[in-house]
Amino acid sequence: MPYSEIFKDHLTNPRNGGELEDANVVAEETNPVCGDRLRLALRLADGTIKAARFLAYGCPPVLVCGSALTEFIVGKTIEDALQVTRKQLAESVGGLPLRKQHAAALAIETLRSAIDKFRDS
Amino acid sequence: MLPYLTEKFGNASSVHGFGQEARAAVDRARREVATLIGARPNEIVFVSGGTEANNLAIRGVGEAAAGHGRHIITSAIEHSSVRGICEVLEKRGWEVTRLPVYEDGIVKIQDVRAALRPDTILISVMLANNEIGTIQPIEEIAALARAEREKSGRRIWVHTDAVQAAGRIEINVEMLGCDLLSFSAHKLYAPKGAGALYVRRGVRLAPQSLGGHQERERRAGTEGVPGIVAFGEAAKLARQEMSQRAQHEERLRNIFEKGVTERIDDIVFNGEPARRLSHVSNISFRFIEGEGLLISLDLQGIAVSTGSACSSGTLEPSPVIIALGRNDELARGAIRFSFGKDNTQADVDYVLEVLPHVVEKLRQLSPLKKVRRLDPVAVE
Repeated sequence: MPYSEIFKDHLTNPRNGGELEDANVVAEETNPVCGDRLRLALRLADGTIKAARFLAYGCPPVLVCGSALTEFIVGKTIEDALQVTRKQLAESVGGLPLRKQHAAALAIETLRSAIDKFRDS
Repeated sequence: MLPYLTEKFGNASSVHGFGQEARAAVDRARREVATLIGARPNEIVFVSGGTEANNLAIRGVGEAAAGHGRHIITSAIEHSSVRGICEVLEKRGWEVTRLPVYEDGIVKIQDVRAALRPDTILISVMLANNEIGTIQPIEEIAALARAEREKSGRRIWVHTDAVQAAGRIEINVEMLGCDLLSFSAHKLYAPKGAGALYVRRGVRLAPQSLGGHQERERRAGTEGVPGIVAFGEAAKLARQEMSQRAQHEERLRNIFEKGVTERIDDIVFNGEPARRLSHVSNISFRFIEGEGLLISLDLQGIAVSTGSACSSGTLEPSPVIIALGRNDELARGAIRFSFGKDNTQADVDYVLEVLPHVVEKLRQLSPLKKVRRLDPVAVE
Protein backbone atom coordinates (compact mmCIF):
# COMPACT_ATOMS: atom_id res chain seq x y z
CA MET A 1 0.00 0.00 0.00
CA PRO A 2 1.67 3.26 -1.09
CA TYR A 3 1.58 6.15 1.31
CA SER A 4 -0.88 8.94 0.48
CA GLU A 5 -0.04 12.51 -0.43
CA ILE A 6 -1.31 13.73 2.95
CA PHE A 7 0.93 11.16 4.67
CA LYS A 8 3.94 12.38 2.70
CA ASP A 9 3.03 15.96 3.49
CA HIS A 10 2.96 15.27 7.24
CA LEU A 11 6.33 13.53 6.96
CA THR A 12 7.91 16.33 4.95
CA ASN A 13 6.23 19.18 6.86
CA PRO A 14 5.40 17.91 10.32
CA ARG A 15 2.86 20.04 12.20
CA ASN A 16 3.60 21.05 15.77
CA GLY A 17 6.89 19.22 16.08
CA GLY A 18 9.19 20.06 18.98
CA GLU A 19 8.82 20.84 22.64
CA LEU A 20 6.22 23.00 24.34
CA GLU A 21 7.83 25.06 27.06
CA ASP A 22 4.62 26.23 28.71
CA ALA A 23 3.00 22.82 28.67
CA ASN A 24 0.88 21.76 31.63
CA VAL A 25 1.42 18.13 30.90
CA VAL A 26 3.86 15.93 28.98
CA ALA A 27 3.30 12.24 28.37
CA GLU A 28 5.52 9.75 26.64
CA GLU A 29 4.52 6.29 25.55
CA THR A 30 6.57 3.58 23.88
CA ASN A 31 5.73 0.49 21.93
CA PRO A 32 7.85 -2.13 23.70
CA VAL A 33 7.64 -4.49 20.73
CA CYS A 34 9.40 -2.29 18.22
CA GLY A 35 10.79 0.59 20.29
CA ASP A 36 8.59 3.32 18.76
CA ARG A 37 8.27 6.31 21.05
CA LEU A 38 5.92 9.29 21.08
CA ARG A 39 6.05 12.29 23.40
CA LEU A 40 3.09 14.63 23.56
CA ALA A 41 3.09 17.98 25.32
CA LEU A 42 -0.20 19.81 25.89
CA ARG A 43 -1.22 23.17 27.19
CA LEU A 44 -4.71 22.95 28.57
CA ALA A 45 -6.89 25.75 29.84
CA ASP A 46 -10.63 26.00 30.49
CA GLY A 47 -11.11 22.37 29.56
CA THR A 48 -9.66 22.96 26.10
CA ILE A 49 -6.41 21.93 24.41
CA LYS A 50 -4.82 25.27 23.57
CA ALA A 51 -1.56 23.93 22.16
CA ALA A 52 0.04 20.58 21.41
CA ARG A 53 3.52 19.54 20.39
CA PHE A 54 4.97 16.16 19.66
CA LEU A 55 8.31 14.38 19.39
CA ALA A 56 8.56 10.96 17.81
CA TYR A 57 11.08 8.20 17.29
CA GLY A 58 10.15 5.30 15.07
CA CYS A 59 8.95 4.39 11.63
CA PRO A 60 7.34 7.11 9.47
CA PRO A 61 3.72 6.34 10.50
CA VAL A 62 4.65 7.16 14.11
CA LEU A 63 5.95 10.57 13.07
CA VAL A 64 2.97 11.16 10.81
CA CYS A 65 0.39 10.08 13.41
CA GLY A 66 2.05 12.35 15.98
CA SER A 67 1.81 15.26 13.58
CA ALA A 68 -1.78 14.48 12.57
CA LEU A 69 -2.86 13.99 16.19
CA THR A 70 -1.75 17.49 17.17
CA GLU A 71 -3.75 18.96 14.28
CA PHE A 72 -6.76 16.95 15.32
CA ILE A 73 -6.84 18.00 18.96
CA VAL A 74 -5.74 21.63 19.15
CA GLY A 75 -8.82 23.74 19.84
CA LYS A 76 -10.87 20.73 20.96
CA THR A 77 -12.29 20.29 24.44
CA ILE A 78 -10.74 17.50 26.45
CA GLU A 79 -13.96 15.52 26.10
CA ASP A 80 -13.98 15.92 22.31
CA ALA A 81 -10.30 15.07 22.03
CA LEU A 82 -10.92 11.84 23.90
CA GLN A 83 -13.48 10.87 21.26
CA VAL A 84 -10.80 10.72 18.53
CA THR A 85 -10.27 7.11 17.57
CA ARG A 86 -7.35 5.20 16.16
CA LYS A 87 -9.34 4.59 13.00
CA GLN A 88 -10.13 8.29 12.50
CA LEU A 89 -6.48 9.18 12.97
CA ALA A 90 -5.33 6.55 10.48
CA GLU A 91 -7.96 7.68 7.97
CA SER A 92 -6.91 11.30 8.37
CA VAL A 93 -3.47 10.44 6.98
CA GLY A 94 -4.91 8.53 4.06
CA GLY A 95 -4.99 5.13 5.78
CA LEU A 96 -2.18 2.96 7.11
CA PRO A 97 -1.05 -0.52 6.08
CA LEU A 98 -2.21 -3.24 8.47
CA ARG A 99 1.23 -3.73 9.98
CA LYS A 100 1.52 0.01 10.69
CA GLN A 101 -1.77 0.44 12.54
CA HIS A 102 0.19 0.34 15.77
CA ALA A 103 1.41 3.87 15.04
CA ALA A 104 -2.12 5.29 15.28
CA ALA A 105 -2.72 3.22 18.41
CA LEU A 106 0.42 4.65 20.02
CA ALA A 107 -0.72 8.21 19.25
CA ILE A 108 -4.17 7.71 20.81
CA GLU A 109 -2.63 5.96 23.81
CA THR A 110 -0.24 8.86 24.35
CA LEU A 111 -3.09 11.38 24.16
CA ARG A 112 -5.11 9.45 26.74
CA SER A 113 -2.10 9.09 28.95
CA ALA A 114 -1.47 12.87 28.81
CA ILE A 115 -5.08 13.68 29.70
CA ASP A 116 -5.12 11.15 32.52
CA LYS A 117 -1.92 12.66 33.86
CA PHE A 118 -3.40 16.15 33.67
CA ARG A 119 -6.54 15.08 35.50
CA ASP A 120 -4.51 13.33 38.18
CA SER A 121 -2.31 16.37 38.74
CA MET B 1 18.08 -11.89 -24.05
CA LEU B 2 15.15 -10.39 -25.97
CA PRO B 3 15.12 -12.94 -28.85
CA TYR B 4 14.67 -15.68 -26.25
CA LEU B 5 11.43 -14.06 -25.16
CA THR B 6 10.06 -13.99 -28.71
CA GLU B 7 11.22 -15.83 -31.84
CA LYS B 8 13.76 -18.11 -30.08
CA PHE B 9 11.17 -19.53 -27.74
CA GLY B 10 12.43 -23.11 -27.54
CA ASN B 11 12.57 -25.16 -24.36
CA ALA B 12 16.20 -26.00 -23.65
CA SER B 13 15.18 -29.53 -22.68
CA SER B 14 13.44 -30.23 -26.02
CA VAL B 15 15.22 -32.21 -28.70
CA HIS B 16 13.84 -30.32 -31.69
CA GLY B 17 15.71 -27.50 -33.39
CA PHE B 18 14.12 -24.70 -31.39
CA GLY B 19 14.98 -26.51 -28.19
CA GLN B 20 18.57 -27.07 -29.25
CA GLU B 21 18.95 -23.41 -30.11
CA ALA B 22 17.90 -22.57 -26.56
CA ARG B 23 20.18 -25.31 -25.17
CA ALA B 24 23.16 -23.81 -27.01
CA ALA B 25 22.36 -20.38 -25.55
CA VAL B 26 22.13 -21.81 -22.02
CA ASP B 27 25.46 -23.59 -22.54
CA ARG B 28 27.10 -20.36 -23.69
CA ALA B 29 25.73 -18.55 -20.66
CA ARG B 30 26.96 -21.34 -18.40
CA ARG B 31 30.49 -20.91 -19.74
CA GLU B 32 30.41 -17.14 -19.08
CA VAL B 33 28.97 -17.54 -15.60
CA ALA B 34 31.56 -20.22 -14.78
CA THR B 35 34.39 -18.06 -16.10
CA LEU B 36 33.40 -15.18 -13.80
CA ILE B 37 34.32 -17.30 -10.78
CA GLY B 38 37.02 -19.50 -12.31
CA ALA B 39 34.85 -22.64 -12.32
CA ARG B 40 34.14 -25.34 -14.90
CA PRO B 41 30.77 -25.03 -16.71
CA ASN B 42 29.57 -28.38 -15.37
CA GLU B 43 30.06 -27.10 -11.82
CA ILE B 44 27.37 -24.42 -12.32
CA VAL B 45 23.76 -25.13 -11.32
CA PHE B 46 21.34 -22.49 -12.55
CA VAL B 47 18.64 -21.57 -10.03
CA SER B 48 16.17 -18.73 -9.50
CA GLY B 49 18.48 -16.48 -7.48
CA GLY B 50 20.65 -16.13 -4.41
CA THR B 51 18.07 -17.38 -1.94
CA GLU B 52 17.49 -20.62 -3.80
CA ALA B 53 21.24 -21.10 -4.26
CA ASN B 54 21.81 -20.69 -0.52
CA ASN B 55 18.92 -22.99 0.35
CA LEU B 56 20.08 -25.65 -2.11
CA ALA B 57 23.68 -25.49 -0.91
CA ILE B 58 22.94 -25.77 2.80
CA ARG B 59 20.01 -28.14 2.81
CA GLY B 60 21.44 -30.09 -0.15
CA VAL B 61 24.77 -30.73 1.58
CA GLY B 62 23.10 -31.10 4.99
CA GLU B 63 20.84 -33.87 3.75
CA ALA B 64 23.46 -35.58 1.56
CA ALA B 65 26.03 -35.63 4.37
CA ALA B 66 23.66 -36.30 7.27
CA GLY B 67 25.12 -39.77 7.71
CA HIS B 68 28.51 -38.22 8.50
CA GLY B 69 27.36 -35.57 10.93
CA ARG B 70 24.78 -32.93 11.59
CA HIS B 71 26.76 -29.92 12.68
CA ILE B 72 26.89 -26.70 10.64
CA ILE B 73 29.04 -23.65 11.31
CA THR B 74 27.83 -20.30 10.07
CA SER B 75 28.13 -16.64 11.10
CA ALA B 76 25.95 -14.14 12.93
CA ILE B 77 25.74 -11.83 9.91
CA GLU B 78 24.51 -14.12 7.14
CA HIS B 79 21.74 -13.15 4.74
CA SER B 80 18.27 -14.21 5.85
CA SER B 81 18.23 -16.97 3.22
CA VAL B 82 21.15 -18.65 5.00
CA ARG B 83 19.82 -17.84 8.47
CA GLY B 84 16.40 -19.18 7.55
CA ILE B 85 17.53 -22.52 6.18
CA CYS B 86 19.88 -23.05 9.14
CA GLU B 87 16.95 -22.48 11.50
CA VAL B 88 14.87 -25.05 9.60
CA LEU B 89 17.65 -27.64 9.81
CA GLU B 90 18.10 -26.88 13.50
CA LYS B 91 14.44 -27.74 14.10
CA ARG B 92 15.03 -31.03 12.33
CA GLY B 93 17.92 -32.12 14.51
CA TRP B 94 20.97 -30.43 13.03
CA GLU B 95 23.11 -28.31 15.33
CA VAL B 96 24.22 -24.88 14.20
CA THR B 97 27.09 -22.79 15.58
CA ARG B 98 26.83 -19.11 14.69
CA LEU B 99 30.22 -17.44 14.80
CA PRO B 100 30.37 -13.93 16.19
CA VAL B 101 31.81 -10.99 14.35
CA TYR B 102 33.42 -8.19 16.24
CA GLU B 103 33.22 -4.45 15.84
CA ASP B 104 34.95 -4.78 12.47
CA GLY B 105 32.24 -7.09 11.11
CA ILE B 106 34.66 -9.90 10.26
CA VAL B 107 34.65 -13.57 11.29
CA LYS B 108 37.88 -14.67 13.00
CA ILE B 109 39.63 -17.83 11.82
CA GLN B 110 40.41 -18.90 15.40
CA ASP B 111 36.69 -18.91 16.13
CA VAL B 112 36.12 -21.18 13.14
CA ARG B 113 38.86 -23.50 14.36
CA ALA B 114 37.39 -23.59 17.87
CA ALA B 115 33.91 -24.34 16.52
CA LEU B 116 34.98 -27.40 14.48
CA ARG B 117 33.64 -30.68 15.82
CA PRO B 118 33.97 -34.30 14.72
CA ASP B 119 30.42 -34.10 13.32
CA THR B 120 30.86 -30.79 11.45
CA ILE B 121 29.86 -31.30 7.82
CA LEU B 122 29.46 -27.76 6.53
CA ILE B 123 30.83 -24.28 7.10
CA SER B 124 28.75 -21.55 5.48
CA VAL B 125 30.15 -18.03 5.76
CA MET B 126 29.38 -15.27 3.28
CA LEU B 127 32.12 -13.85 1.09
CA ALA B 128 31.00 -10.25 1.67
CA ASN B 129 28.20 -8.93 3.79
CA ASN B 130 25.20 -7.36 2.08
CA GLU B 131 24.61 -4.60 4.63
CA ILE B 132 28.10 -3.46 5.58
CA GLY B 133 30.20 -4.95 2.77
CA THR B 134 32.86 -6.55 4.98
CA ILE B 135 34.86 -9.26 3.21
CA GLN B 136 35.22 -12.51 5.14
CA PRO B 137 38.34 -14.72 5.26
CA ILE B 138 36.94 -17.53 3.09
CA GLU B 139 40.37 -18.55 1.76
CA GLU B 140 41.60 -19.19 5.31
CA ILE B 141 38.39 -20.93 6.32
CA ALA B 142 38.56 -23.21 3.27
CA ALA B 143 42.25 -23.97 3.95
CA LEU B 144 41.36 -24.88 7.53
CA ALA B 145 38.57 -27.19 6.36
CA ARG B 146 40.86 -28.79 3.79
CA ALA B 147 43.57 -29.40 6.38
CA GLU B 148 40.99 -30.92 8.72
CA ARG B 149 39.68 -33.09 5.89
CA GLU B 150 43.17 -34.37 5.06
CA LYS B 151 44.04 -34.97 8.69
CA SER B 152 40.88 -36.79 9.72
CA GLY B 153 39.48 -38.06 6.42
CA ARG B 154 36.13 -36.49 7.39
CA ARG B 155 33.92 -34.56 5.01
CA ILE B 156 33.73 -30.87 5.78
CA TRP B 157 32.41 -28.72 2.96
CA VAL B 158 32.72 -24.95 2.73
CA HIS B 159 29.92 -22.88 1.24
CA THR B 160 30.07 -19.14 0.68
CA ASP B 161 27.26 -16.76 -0.20
CA ALA B 162 28.91 -14.51 -2.79
CA VAL B 163 25.75 -12.76 -3.94
CA GLN B 164 27.01 -9.36 -2.85
CA ALA B 165 30.65 -9.97 -3.84
CA ALA B 166 30.32 -11.51 -7.32
CA GLY B 167 31.11 -9.06 -10.06
CA ARG B 168 32.54 -6.61 -7.50
CA ILE B 169 35.76 -8.38 -6.55
CA GLU B 170 37.81 -11.00 -8.37
CA ILE B 171 36.60 -14.46 -7.45
CA ASN B 172 38.39 -17.66 -8.32
CA VAL B 173 36.95 -20.74 -6.66
CA GLU B 174 40.27 -22.57 -7.01
CA MET B 175 42.09 -19.85 -5.09
CA LEU B 176 39.27 -19.40 -2.59
CA GLY B 177 39.10 -23.14 -2.05
CA CYS B 178 35.37 -23.19 -1.30
CA ASP B 179 33.23 -26.15 -2.36
CA LEU B 180 29.99 -24.29 -2.98
CA LEU B 181 29.36 -20.66 -3.90
CA SER B 182 26.08 -18.81 -4.45
CA PHE B 183 25.60 -15.80 -6.69
CA SER B 184 22.83 -13.91 -8.34
CA ALA B 185 22.19 -12.38 -11.77
CA HIS B 186 20.52 -9.17 -10.76
CA LYS B 187 23.50 -8.04 -8.72
CA LEU B 188 25.34 -8.02 -12.05
CA TYR B 189 22.60 -5.86 -13.61
CA ALA B 190 20.77 -8.75 -15.31
CA PRO B 191 17.01 -9.12 -14.74
CA LYS B 192 15.83 -10.58 -11.45
CA GLY B 193 14.99 -14.27 -11.38
CA ALA B 194 18.25 -16.04 -12.16
CA GLY B 195 21.13 -17.17 -10.01
CA ALA B 196 23.68 -19.92 -9.77
CA LEU B 197 25.21 -22.30 -7.32
CA TYR B 198 28.75 -23.44 -7.95
CA VAL B 199 29.17 -27.04 -6.78
CA ARG B 200 32.72 -28.37 -6.86
CA ARG B 201 33.11 -31.70 -8.62
CA GLY B 202 32.78 -34.50 -6.11
CA VAL B 203 30.48 -32.66 -3.71
CA ARG B 204 27.25 -34.58 -3.22
CA LEU B 205 24.11 -32.55 -3.03
CA ALA B 206 20.58 -33.75 -2.31
CA PRO B 207 18.41 -31.96 -4.91
CA GLN B 208 15.59 -29.88 -3.49
CA SER B 209 13.38 -29.92 -6.57
CA LEU B 210 12.80 -33.30 -8.15
CA GLY B 211 11.22 -34.79 -11.22
CA GLY B 212 13.44 -33.68 -14.10
CA HIS B 213 16.95 -34.19 -15.45
CA GLN B 214 17.83 -30.51 -15.77
CA GLU B 215 21.03 -29.14 -14.25
CA ARG B 216 22.55 -32.62 -14.02
CA GLU B 217 19.70 -33.77 -11.77
CA ARG B 218 20.55 -31.17 -9.14
CA ARG B 219 17.68 -28.81 -9.91
CA ALA B 220 14.72 -30.20 -11.80
CA GLY B 221 12.55 -27.77 -13.76
CA THR B 222 12.50 -26.05 -17.12
CA GLU B 223 15.39 -23.60 -17.40
CA GLY B 224 14.46 -19.90 -17.44
CA VAL B 225 16.25 -19.40 -20.73
CA PRO B 226 15.94 -15.59 -21.16
CA GLY B 227 17.13 -14.92 -17.59
CA ILE B 228 20.02 -17.34 -17.94
CA VAL B 229 21.09 -15.81 -21.26
CA ALA B 230 21.05 -12.36 -19.66
CA PHE B 231 22.98 -13.72 -16.66
CA GLY B 232 25.67 -14.99 -19.04
CA GLU B 233 25.97 -11.66 -20.80
CA ALA B 234 26.00 -9.75 -17.52
CA ALA B 235 28.72 -12.06 -16.17
CA LYS B 236 30.86 -11.38 -19.24
CA LEU B 237 30.44 -7.60 -18.87
CA ALA B 238 31.09 -7.77 -15.13
CA ARG B 239 34.34 -9.63 -15.77
CA GLN B 240 35.45 -7.22 -18.48
CA GLU B 241 34.51 -4.06 -16.59
CA MET B 242 35.11 -5.17 -13.01
CA SER B 243 38.13 -3.06 -12.18
CA GLN B 244 36.82 0.12 -13.77
CA ARG B 245 33.41 -0.29 -12.13
CA ALA B 246 35.02 -0.91 -8.75
CA GLN B 247 37.29 2.13 -9.09
CA HIS B 248 34.37 4.32 -10.10
CA GLU B 249 32.16 3.11 -7.25
CA GLU B 250 34.92 3.41 -4.68
CA ARG B 251 35.66 6.96 -5.76
CA LEU B 252 31.99 7.94 -5.38
CA ARG B 253 31.70 6.10 -2.07
CA ASN B 254 34.77 7.87 -0.68
CA ILE B 255 33.55 11.31 -1.77
CA PHE B 256 30.21 10.50 -0.18
CA GLU B 257 31.69 9.36 3.13
CA LYS B 258 33.99 12.37 3.36
CA GLY B 259 31.06 14.68 2.60
CA VAL B 260 28.82 13.04 5.17
CA THR B 261 31.53 13.23 7.84
CA GLU B 262 31.97 16.95 7.17
CA ARG B 263 28.26 17.72 7.18
CA ILE B 264 26.63 15.50 9.80
CA ASP B 265 27.51 14.92 13.46
CA ASP B 266 26.66 11.95 15.64
CA ILE B 267 27.14 9.27 13.02
CA VAL B 268 28.91 5.92 13.18
CA PHE B 269 30.29 4.08 10.17
CA ASN B 270 29.69 0.34 10.27
CA GLY B 271 32.11 -2.31 9.02
CA GLU B 272 35.91 -2.34 8.78
CA PRO B 273 36.67 0.38 6.20
CA ALA B 274 39.83 -1.29 4.91
CA ARG B 275 38.24 -4.65 4.24
CA ARG B 276 34.92 -4.13 2.54
CA LEU B 277 33.36 -3.96 -0.90
CA SER B 278 33.99 -0.73 -2.74
CA HIS B 279 30.34 0.15 -3.38
CA VAL B 280 28.82 -0.10 0.10
CA SER B 281 28.63 2.49 2.86
CA ASN B 282 26.70 1.75 6.02
CA ILE B 283 26.09 4.57 8.48
CA SER B 284 24.21 4.73 11.78
CA PHE B 285 22.59 8.10 12.43
CA ARG B 286 22.07 8.65 16.13
CA PHE B 287 18.70 9.74 17.54
CA ILE B 288 16.66 8.72 14.50
CA GLU B 289 15.15 5.59 13.06
CA GLY B 290 16.30 4.29 9.69
CA GLU B 291 12.93 3.84 8.09
CA GLY B 292 11.97 7.48 8.63
CA LEU B 293 15.17 8.44 6.92
CA LEU B 294 14.64 5.92 4.13
CA ILE B 295 11.14 7.17 3.30
CA SER B 296 12.12 10.82 3.61
CA LEU B 297 15.01 10.27 1.18
CA ASP B 298 12.75 8.28 -1.11
CA LEU B 299 10.41 11.27 -1.33
CA GLN B 300 13.39 13.22 -2.65
CA GLY B 301 14.24 10.56 -5.23
CA ILE B 302 17.04 8.87 -3.29
CA ALA B 303 16.80 5.11 -2.78
CA VAL B 304 18.66 3.59 0.17
CA SER B 305 18.02 0.58 2.37
CA THR B 306 17.83 -0.47 5.99
CA GLY B 307 18.23 -4.00 7.25
CA SER B 308 16.05 -3.23 10.17
CA ALA B 309 12.74 -2.82 11.86
CA CYS B 310 9.35 -2.62 10.24
CA SER B 311 10.73 -1.95 6.78
CA SER B 312 11.68 -5.55 6.22
CA GLY B 313 8.51 -6.89 7.81
CA THR B 314 10.09 -7.71 11.14
CA LEU B 315 10.19 -5.66 14.29
CA GLU B 316 13.80 -6.40 15.10
CA PRO B 317 16.67 -4.04 14.35
CA SER B 318 19.27 -5.25 11.87
CA PRO B 319 20.94 -8.40 13.26
CA VAL B 320 24.07 -7.46 11.33
CA ILE B 321 24.51 -4.12 13.08
CA ILE B 322 23.62 -5.68 16.44
CA ALA B 323 26.31 -8.34 15.78
CA LEU B 324 28.88 -5.53 15.59
CA GLY B 325 28.10 -4.78 19.23
CA ARG B 326 26.13 -1.62 18.44
CA ASN B 327 23.23 -0.70 20.69
CA ASP B 328 19.60 -0.77 19.64
CA GLU B 329 19.51 2.90 18.73
CA LEU B 330 22.51 2.64 16.39
CA ALA B 331 21.15 -0.57 14.86
CA ARG B 332 17.77 1.04 14.22
CA GLY B 333 19.40 4.14 12.78
CA ALA B 334 21.57 2.27 10.26
CA ILE B 335 21.25 2.96 6.55
CA ARG B 336 23.04 1.30 3.67
CA PHE B 337 24.02 3.52 0.79
CA SER B 338 25.22 1.64 -2.26
CA PHE B 339 26.79 2.91 -5.42
CA GLY B 340 26.47 1.42 -8.88
CA LYS B 341 28.26 1.72 -12.18
CA ASP B 342 25.69 4.21 -13.47
CA ASN B 343 25.80 6.57 -10.51
CA THR B 344 27.55 9.87 -11.11
CA GLN B 345 29.31 12.55 -9.12
CA ALA B 346 26.16 14.67 -9.55
CA ASP B 347 24.14 11.94 -7.82
CA VAL B 348 26.53 12.01 -4.86
CA ASP B 349 26.43 15.81 -4.73
CA TYR B 350 22.65 15.69 -4.66
CA VAL B 351 22.59 13.17 -1.80
CA LEU B 352 25.10 15.29 0.12
CA GLU B 353 22.85 18.31 -0.35
CA VAL B 354 19.62 16.57 0.72
CA LEU B 355 20.80 14.18 3.44
CA PRO B 356 21.93 16.70 6.10
CA HIS B 357 18.57 18.52 5.96
CA VAL B 358 16.56 15.33 6.21
CA VAL B 359 18.64 14.04 9.13
CA GLU B 360 18.38 17.38 10.95
CA LYS B 361 14.63 17.53 10.46
CA LEU B 362 14.13 14.03 11.87
CA ARG B 363 16.46 14.79 14.75
CA GLN B 364 14.42 17.86 15.63
CA LEU B 365 11.45 15.56 16.07
CA SER B 366 13.36 12.99 18.09
CA PRO B 367 12.63 12.58 21.80
CA LEU B 368 16.01 10.87 22.16
CA LYS B 369 17.82 14.17 21.90
CA LYS B 370 17.49 17.50 23.63
CA VAL B 371 16.00 19.39 20.71
CA ARG B 372 15.44 22.96 19.88
CA ARG B 373 12.03 24.26 18.96
CA LEU B 374 11.08 24.25 15.32
CA ASP B 375 9.20 27.54 15.29
CA PRO B 376 7.17 29.72 17.66
CA VAL B 377 4.20 27.99 19.18
CA ALA B 378 0.88 29.11 17.80
CA VAL B 379 -1.56 29.53 20.64
CA GLU B 380 -5.05 30.79 20.21
